[in-house]
Amino acid sequence: MAPIIRIEDLHYTYPHEGGAVQALRGIDLTIEQGEYVVLLGHNGSGKSTLAKHLNALLLPTQGDVWINGWNTKERRHLREIRSTVGMVFQQPDNQIVATIVEEDVAFGPENLGVERREIQRRIEWSLQRVDMLPFRHRAPHLLSGGQKQRICIAGVLAMQPSVLVLDEATAMLDPIGRQEVLEVARRLNREEGVTIVAVTHFMREATEADRVIVLHEGKIALQGPPRAIFQQIDQLRALSLDVPHVSELAQALHRRFPTFPPDLLTPQEIATAVITCCNGNQASLQRRGEQKKEGSEVRDEGRATKKGDFAPSAPRSSSLAPLLSLCGVAHYYMRGTPLEVKAIEDINIEVHRGEIIGVIGHTGSGKSTAIQHFNGLLKAHEGEVRVLGQNLADPNVDLRAVRRAVGLVFQTPEAQLFEQYVGDDIAYGPRKQGLGPEEVRARVRRAMEAVGLPFEEYKDRITFGLSGGQMRRVAIAGVLALEPQVLVLDEPTAGLDPQARRQLMRHILDLHKQGVTLVIISHNMEELAEICHRIYVIAEGRTVMAGTPAEVFSRASELRAIGLDAPDMTQVAEALKAQGLLPADVVIYTLEQAEAAIAELLLARGAVLAETAAGGQAR
Amino acid sequence: MSEFEYLRNVTVGQYIPTESLVHRLDPRTKLLAALFVALAATSTRSVLATLLLVGLLMGVTRLARIEVRYVLRGLLPAAPFIVVLMLMQLLFQGRFSVCETVYWERGFVRITPCLIELVILGALRLIIFLFLVSLLTLTTTASHIMHGIETLLAPLQRIGLPVHEFALANIIALRFIPTIAEEMERIAKAQASRGGDFGGESWWRPDRMARARLPLIVPLFVNTLRRAEELIVAMEARCYLGRKGRTKFVDLHLTGLDWLVIALSILLWVVLWRTPWPTFT
Repeated sequence: MAPIIRIEDLHYTYPHEGGAVQALRGIDLTIEQGEYVVLLGHNGSGKSTLAKHLNALLLPTQGDVWINGWNTKERRHLREIRSTVGMVFQQPDNQIVATIVEEDVAFGPENLGVERREIQRRIEWSLQRVDMLPFRHRAPHLLSGGQKQRICIAGVLAMQPSVLVLDEATAMLDPIGRQEVLEVARRLNREEGVTIVAVTHFMREATEADRVIVLHEGKIALQGPPRAIFQQIDQLRALSLDVPHVSELAQALHRRFPTFPPDLLTPQEIATAVITCCNGNQASLQRRGEQKKEGSEVRDEGRATKKGDFAPSAPRSSSLAPLLSLCGVAHYYMRGTPLEVKAIEDINIEVHRGEIIGVIGHTGSGKSTAIQHFNGLLKAHEGEVRVLGQNLADPNVDLRAVRRAVGLVFQTPEAQLFEQYVGDDIAYGPRKQGLGPEEVRARVRRAMEAVGLPFEEYKDRITFGLSGGQMRRVAIAGVLALEPQVLVLDEPTAGLDPQARRQLMRHILDLHKQGVTLVIISHNMEELAEICHRIYVIAEGRTVMAGTPAEVFSRASELRAIGLDAPDMTQVAEALKAQGLLPADVVIYTLEQAEAAIAELLLARGAVLAETAAGGQAR
Repeated sequence: MSEFEYLRNVTVGQYIPTESLVHRLDPRTKLLAALFVALAATSTRSVLATLLLVGLLMGVTRLARIEVRYVLRGLLPAAPFIVVLMLMQLLFQGRFSVCETVYWERGFVRITPCLIELVILGALRLIIFLFLVSLLTLTTTASHIMHGIETLLAPLQRIGLPVHEFALANIIALRFIPTIAEEMERIAKAQASRGGDFGGESWWRPDRMARARLPLIVPLFVNTLRRAEELIVAMEARCYLGRKGRTKFVDLHLTGLDWLVIALSILLWVVLWRTPWPTFT
C-alpha cells in the first residue's frame, strides 16, 4: 500500500524583513497509514512549517508533497487533500467559528458539501469519539481549554480524515486538558486507525509515539523510535531539546550501574528494571532486612539535598508578619447579575520575605482569581487581604503603591506589549510613576539586564519583531521596572520551547538571589518541585494543601484526585512503592533524590557499580 | 468595585433558554413577525392602538416564560435617549402642529394636543422597537437569527449581494465577542499591574484620553488581528473555500404554527393600519 504521506526534497523559503528565510531545507519523509509520529524541535526549527505542508496550507518552494497520491501543488485536489489531512492548532479559541458546538463541528462537512442527514450522523460520531456529545448544544466560550480543543478535534474528525495533525495542540492546555487531548489522539490511532502527526514541546508526549522525528534548522536531525531517540541526551541537548525525566533517570543509573537498562520511558518500566536488574543476585534476599533502614536514610538524604540547594529556608517565624497574605478570601464574578459565579471561596495564602512560593491548581480552580487579589486588581468580597502590613479593604490604601510593590506578570504577558520600541514599552510603568528620565533609563536598564536582554542592544529593537521568548522577557522586564518586592508570575514558561524555558527560569531564580520574593503559578510540577520553599494547592476555589514540596508531593494520590499531576520522579517512587521496594513514607520529587534512592536499592540488591566492574576487569 | 469586568456589560445575543412555544418558532417567523409588528407600530397614529401593541408584546413575553420586568429593565439604559427625544419633540415640533387648540405658547414653543399625542406616540414606538429586538434575542440564539436572516435574504444572492459571507462574518463576530471582552479585561489588568491607569483625563482633551488608552487598544488590535489570521488558516484547513459547493447543517423549516403566526402578524398590521382609530390629527 502506498504511504499516506510522501515528502521528497521539500524546501520552503519565505520572505521576512527584506531577506529570505529558509524554513525547510530538504526534507525527505514518508509516513504510513496508521502511524503515530511526533515532530520535535525548538522554536524556529521548521516543525510547524512542515506540518502546514501536510494539508496544502503551504506549498513547497522546491520539492513535492504527496498526500494519498495527490500532489499538494495541484489545486483541483485541494478539497480531497484537506479532508484527508485534518489539522488542529495551538489556540482552540482561534479555531472555533460557530456559537454552538454542533454547528462548529458541522462547519467542515458543510464545506465538503455533505448532505444534512449525514452531517447529523457525523456530528454525533465525532463528538462521541472525543467524549463531548453531551455538550453539543453548548456555547464554546463556556467550555474549558481541553474541552474546546476536543471540539476542534471533533470538527476535524467530522471530515473523516485519515491523518490528524496536531500542531502544538496541547501547548496552551493544563495537564488535564493535555491528558484529555492525548487520550483522544491515542484512541483514534488505535481504534480508528487514524494516522497521527503531533508537533509538540513536551518530551513526555513523544514517548507514546511509534516514531519521533527531530527537526533542526529545517532538516531532519534525528529519527527513530522514542526509546532510541531519548537515549541520545547530549545530541538532543545540542539541538536545544530536553529528554523525558524518566529517560534521564534511567541513563544516570545506567552510568553508575552498567547492568541497569538505559532506554526506559515510563515509571513502571523503572520499577520493573529495578526488580529484574539483579534478580540473579542472591544478595537481594540476605539484605532484605536492611532495606527498611536504608529507606529511611534515603529520605534523610533527600531532605539534605533540599537544604543544600537553598541555604536556610526563608524566615517563617510568627514574629515576622508576612509580606502578603490572603485570609479566607472569597470572590464572585458578575456579582449582582443572574449570572453570578463564585470564583473562589476560601483562599489562605501567606508569603514571607525572601520565599519562593508555588501555587498549583488546574484551570478553573480559581488560582488566577486568587493571585489578582495580591495587588488589588480584584477586591475580596469576603475575607482579608494584607499587603505590606496594609489591609487592602481600607479605602485609604494607595493601590498604585501596592501594585508597584507586588509585580504581577500575567499568563502570556507578551500579549500586553504596545510600544513600538522595546525600551519604551518597559519604561511605561516608571514613566507613569512620574520618575525623571535618568531614573527611568536606569530602571529600564536594570530590568532588561535582569531578564538577559542587553540594554544597548535591545532597547531600540522593534517590539513585535522579537521572538516569542524574547517578547515574554520584555513583558516581564516591564513589570520589573517598577522594582517590585514581590514578583507574581502566572505560568511564566507556558508555550515556550525547552531552551527558552530553561533560560527564563534561570533569570527568574537570579531575581530571587537579588532579594525579590517570588510567587510562581505553574502546571510544571518539576519546575516547582525543584525551586519552591512552599507550595499551595488550590482546588475549586479553596486552598486544599499547603506545605513544603516534600509535604505536598507526599500526597500524590490526593493531587491526582483533584486532577493534578505529581512530578515524574514522584511517580517513579510510587511505582517502586507499589512493588514494595520503597517504604511508603519516603518522599521523592527531584531527579537527584530518585537517583540516590534507586542507587541505594540497587546496591542493596547487589548490583555492581561501574567503578567496581571496571576495577574487576582491570584485575 | 469591578472596574475590570467588561464581560458583564456585554449583553448582545443574551439568550434565555426556557424552551417555550415562542423559543421553538422558526427564527424566520420571529423575524417576519417582528417586522410586521414594527410596521404596524409605524402605520397607526393612535396612542390607543400603540398601547395595545405594547400589551401584545407583554403577552408574548409571558408566553415565552420570561419576566416582563426583566425585559423592561433591559430597556432602562435607553431611557435617557427616549426622554431627550421627547423633550426635543416637545420643544421644536409644536410649530408644525396642525391642531387648532393651543394649551400653552411662548416663543417658538407651542404645546397642542396633537403635539402631546405625537410625543407619546414617538416614545411608545421606540419602546416597541427595543422591546421587539430584546424579545427576539432573548428567545432566539444569535446563530439562529443569523441563519434566519441568511435564508430570508438568500434571493438577494442572485443579484450579487454576499448574503452568505455577511451571515458567516456576523456569526464569527458574535462568537468572538466574549473572547475579545475577556482579552480586553486581561490587558487592562496587566497594564494596571505595571502602573497604568485609564481614567482621569478631562473629556475636553480627547487626544489625551485616546493616548492614555493606547496601552489597551494597541495590544487588543494586535491580538485580534493575530486571532483573525489564525482563524483564517484554521477555516482553510477545514476546507472552507467560499460558498460554492457548501451545504447547510442548520435545518430551518416552517411548521403550521409558523405560518399561522406570520399570517396573524400580517393581519395585525393590516388591521391596525386600516382601522379608523380616533386621533387628534
